[in-house]
Amino acid sequence: MNDIRHANTEELLALRDGEGLAWTKTHVETCAACGAALYRLEQMRARLRALPAFTPPRDRFAGIAFAARRESRLRRVRGAVGLATAATLAALTFLALRPGGDGAIARERAALGRAMTRSEVLEQTLKAVAPERRALSGDALRAAAGLEDRLGRIDAALAEPDGWQQRPDRVVDLWQERAGVLSALVDVHTTRVAMAGL
Amino acid sequence: MADTIPLAEARSLVARARAGDTGALEHLYRAYEGSVYTLARRLTKTAEDAEDVLQETFLEVCRSLSGWRGDGSLWGWVRTIAASKALMRYRREKIRETEPLEEDLGAGYAAADLPLQLDLEAALARLPERTRVVVWLHDVEGYTHEEIAELMGMTTSFSKSQLARAHQKLRQWLGEESRT
Repeated sequence: MNDIRHANTEELLALRDGEGLAWTKTHVETCAACGAALYRLEQMRARLRALPAFTPPRDRFAGIAFAARRESRLRRVRGAVGLATAATLAALTFLALRPGGDGAIARERAALGRAMTRSEVLEQTLKAVAPERRALSGDALRAAAGLEDRLGRIDAALAEPDGWQQRPDRVVDLWQERAGVLSALVDVHTTRVAMAGL
Repeated sequence: MADTIPLAEARSLVARARAGDTGALEHLYRAYEGSVYTLARRLTKTAEDAEDVLQETFLEVCRSLSGWRGDGSLWGWVRTIAASKALMRYRREKIRETEPLEEDLGAGYAAADLPLQLDLEAALARLPERTRVVVWLHDVEGYTHEEIAELMGMTTSFSKSQLARAHQKLRQWLGEESRT
């Protein structure tokens, strides 16, 4: 490369950032115009860094803390789902093996199966809506938080075999209640999605 | 920006926040909200977008507190999340709209391409979004061209050429000489 031309902006920026070619460095030492251009690039960076900071127009902390707690609660609820499922598989076994396999027990098992299936379908729907990624406000937020708490309590009860082994019919009630709560949760989120046109 | 929270204090705050201490989380938020919002304002189109990035950044911080190893700047970690959230928004929008070609840098202002004596704030705002992102990340935040290329899904030569053209335009719009 010869010394006839001036350094271009990209070459001068590389030199400014400590990555320039030896040619550029040598050239700038002897070329007043390129030396001045390099100085201007340094000055521009200093001016950019000196621009004033912005201040957020609103305090968002309360909303962020609330949303973080809600996400944490949802993660716990999802964590409990595995436990509840395992517990209910045990319940099915319990019902299946219970002596005196009459029609009432068969109906109990069928009701439990239906409630579990409905619950699973609704849970998949809820996951597809991804509630932890969505912003709710006002009444919808309070309703969702209340339903999530209720779901957490149901799953905790299902995860405690001691509580329902005495009364197997209680498992059916819990799973039916669980499906109802999940259905309400799906409604809260899908209504918001439909209204927002998302 | 230098980290405003010493490392030992940052480790303690993060440990408390992970355990559910809202006070510790608020301390982290107050320490970084201005810097995150300023970065977001520089990397996004509108103040509303920047507010969304601020919220998304801190929610991600809450989710990922265990991901900070405690051996480097906490601000550096938070800043990476913020830049990533802002650029995610940028990439989503690029799918929906056509970005001006590199050759069109400053397009729409051709008639007023002579020195305008704008102030730096106005000149910076006039740059196309991706060019402004490159200038800000490189010259102010200190990202390398390689890091910018990775964040934006572009090449390093793209980042270098955008920076050079941005400086040319800024000088021009500020009423300063544009030699090359």
